[in-house]
Amino acid sequence: MVETLHSLANGFAVALSPEVLMYAFVGCLVGTLVGVLPGVGPLGGISLLLPVTYGLDATSALVLLAGIYYGAMYGGSTTSILMRIPGEAASVMTCIDGYAMTQKGRGGAALAIAAVGSFVAGTLSILGLMLLAPPLAEFALRFGPPENFALMVLGLLVLAYMSSGPITRSLSMAALGLLLGMVGMDTMTGLFRFDYGVSELGDGIGIVPVAVGLFGISEILLSAGRDSKAEIRAPRLRELLPTRQEWRASAAPIGRGTVLGFLIGIIPGPGHVISSFVSYSVERRLSRHPERFGHGAIEGVAGPESANNSATSGAFVPMLALGLPSGAVPAIMLAAMMIHGIAPGPLLMQQQPELFWAVIASMYVGNVVLLILNLPFVGIFVNILRIPYSYLYPALLAFATIGVYSVNSSVVDVWMMAVAGLAGYVLRKLDYEIAPIILGLVLAPMIELSFRQSLAMSAGSYSIFFTHPISAFMLLIGLTLLLLGMRSMFTRAAGPGALMGIEPAAGPGQKQP
Amino acid sequence: MLRTLPAGFLILLSLAGGVAAQEAYPTRPINLVSPYPPGGAADLTARPLAPALERALKQPVVVVNRVGAGGAVGTQFVSTAPADGYTLMITVFSISTIPEADKVAGRKPRFTRDQFVPIARINADPTMLIVHPSTPWKSVKALVNEAKKRPNDIVFVSAGPYTVAHMAIEVFMQTAKIKMRHLPTTGGGPAMTALIGGHAFVSALSTGAVSPQWKAGKLRVLANSGAKRLAAFPDTPTLKELGYDMEVYLWTGMFARKEVPPAILKTVRAAVGKAVRDSEFVKASAKMQMPPDYLDAPEFQTWWDKDSEMLANAIRRIPQPSK
Repeated sequence: MVETLHSLANGFAVALSPEVLMYAFVGCLVGTLVGVLPGVGPLGGISLLLPVTYGLDATSALVLLAGIYYGAMYGGSTTSILMRIPGEAASVMTCIDGYAMTQKGRGGAALAIAAVGSFVAGTLSILGLMLLAPPLAEFALRFGPPENFALMVLGLLVLAYMSSGPITRSLSMAALGLLLGMVGMDTMTGLFRFDYGVSELGDGIGIVPVAVGLFGISEILLSAGRDSKAEIRAPRLRELLPTRQEWRASAAPIGRGTVLGFLIGIIPGPGHVISSFVSYSVERRLSRHPERFGHGAIEGVAGPESANNSATSGAFVPMLALGLPSGAVPAIMLAAMMIHGIAPGPLLMQQQPELFWAVIASMYVGNVVLLILNLPFVGIFVNILRIPYSYLYPALLAFATIGVYSVNSSVVDVWMMAVAGLAGYVLRKLDYEIAPIILGLVLAPMIELSFRQSLAMSAGSYSIFFTHPISAFMLLIGLTLLLLGMRSMFTRAAGPGALMGIEPAAGPGQKQP
Repeated sequence: MLRTLPAGFLILLSLAGGVAAQEAYPTRPINLVSPYPPGGAADLTARPLAPALERALKQPVVVVNRVGAGGAVGTQFVSTAPADGYTLMITVFSISTIPEADKVAGRKPRFTRDQFVPIARINADPTMLIVHPSTPWKSVKALVNEAKKRPNDIVFVSAGPYTVAHMAIEVFMQTAKIKMRHLPTTGGGPAMTALIGGHAFVSALSTGAVSPQWKAGKLRVLANSGAKRLAAFPDTPTLKELGYDMEVYLWTGMFARKEVPPAILKTVRAAVGKAVRDSEFVKASAKMQMPPDYLDAPEFQTWWDKDSEMLANAIRRIPQPSK
């Protein structure tokens, strides 16, 4: 422990040196901007800026890239809350209640809670990263294809179990998302599916263009048909800060979001996206007034925003402890290390203690920088709402188009956004929930891949899901949840509009290992 | 006056050079396309090469990542770009495998090899044949014997279908006449994770990825897939010296469209020859454990043809999923 503190102190000495501090600041600033710009997420931002880091020293390069990663998680909430346009995929859930708060004039409070929640989650999860990285990383290694498949099935069942509203509607939307996720190259065989000769479709349907289209473009289209007098009013300055009651309501969701996000982030896959979905469902299930969700519940902002920030620290666990990536962004950061002649591996912490601790320390510094950077912005950003819609919305359309295009320089992505926008418009007119589409789209390729990988490992025998203890355990919990959910369906215990399957004891507690 | 001055200069230059217009190349920035995202082998080669080329050509060289579909999008993009020498490409052996994989899948190839002319091979690294340390296989022979006893039972992991890890093991299996089961993943990182986690037992990955894990005792190295032993792994034999007549490399090369005028290609060739000896480039390559292994156009053409033929043969012999 004393040794850890000593190393950390040395790390801070490096992280607070003017040069490294400057790169942390630049990283956070760029990350915030990347997050704010609809379409460009952390992956796009880091890909665009990786070449810039080739000329820096290794510590500065990693500090810069890490800053972009968690900076994007801070920034992503801004447009979600104010304009219902997800800045990146992990902010989709924030759109729902964040934007509803804006419509009620509480946009400033939502932004402030998002920033504070991100700060708390960021800082606490680094503590977890620092103290628990090696054992947690070893545990994450035990997750192979069958375990990942079982985890994802369990995740879907937990979400279905916890969702409110007509279950057929949200399930049909999730199924639509799963179907869309089937497009593209089949990772098992290299064959292309449903690409109709368009090479760009070989990578599948992008999450970001679809998210921006479904949420953002559809909102712009919908607002054109609304009574202009019912416009959102920009909040007065003294309404910017959350009330005492809002603070109190947010504290527990921030704590739960932090733990959930960190644990989900460790496991391979787009953890920051999934963690925000899980956190939102958990908060809705635990709430005494779940009917408030979707209409401006601050817990629906505080939980997911904390979770996605915490997940970024979780994603660093296998990367720093074992030199193994848990997703696309850590994979690029590993490449950045190799460019600087640093071999990322299990011995990184012993061989490059200065680098390791400087990066850890810079994360603490970065979170403070982001808080300082983001809180004053709340006042500025909220003023954007004063711009008349006839000017604001065309500008937003332009920004969304530029953002979506710039990630892959692909016109196909822009078309996807446009089509998703129209589809979102129609679906929302018909009162369908659109968030499950995104969830399906995120999970489909992962569920399919881990399922087929498992069968490749077992030569086609399904027993692999039950002979692996972790997988069997998770599937058992999933089955229990399914039966509990079905029981209430049969007994019709719940009246119309009430919750499905009320058994809080079997709820979110299962997510904690 | 200001406008005529550079024009006059150009005429003077071309007179001095003897030959007219073509000698003027390059007069504007050159795009160096990488069909892979930043951090991939093609990009990691292109980034330090670009400034070295810039010093040789006296024009900015800009790396452009045209990413998608495992390299197909960028390669296709270059195959249709103007053939004026201002769009060049750095890519890996997918330029040989993608058309062949398209063919066996029964679809029209998105591009073909003969749309391109090779300019130079920049580097070529063998893959390391690795196994999980819990396995009893201390040598390639032990692995082969076990695989013969349990055909199609040992699981090997790759970075995806037709990636270098897949091809290296596939060629190895065909040479050693053994069968193992393929577990594809979505990249080199996930493949390494599956091996270290004990979800698969055999793989063939790049030296840069293997060496830190090997030093930490997380995996066992059995052989390398090249022609020579490596300085970093002096005790690791090559598959060739063990009697398996095969060579598989993760190489990167520079290509242009076939229609680019020969005079321009000559200029580019000379510049690349200079760039790979550029001290900054050599230093950057060493850091990434991708040392230059330069072949000029004629030798590269011969070598590339042979390599492609070998890979194409191997791909044709991979059992295809029934439709």
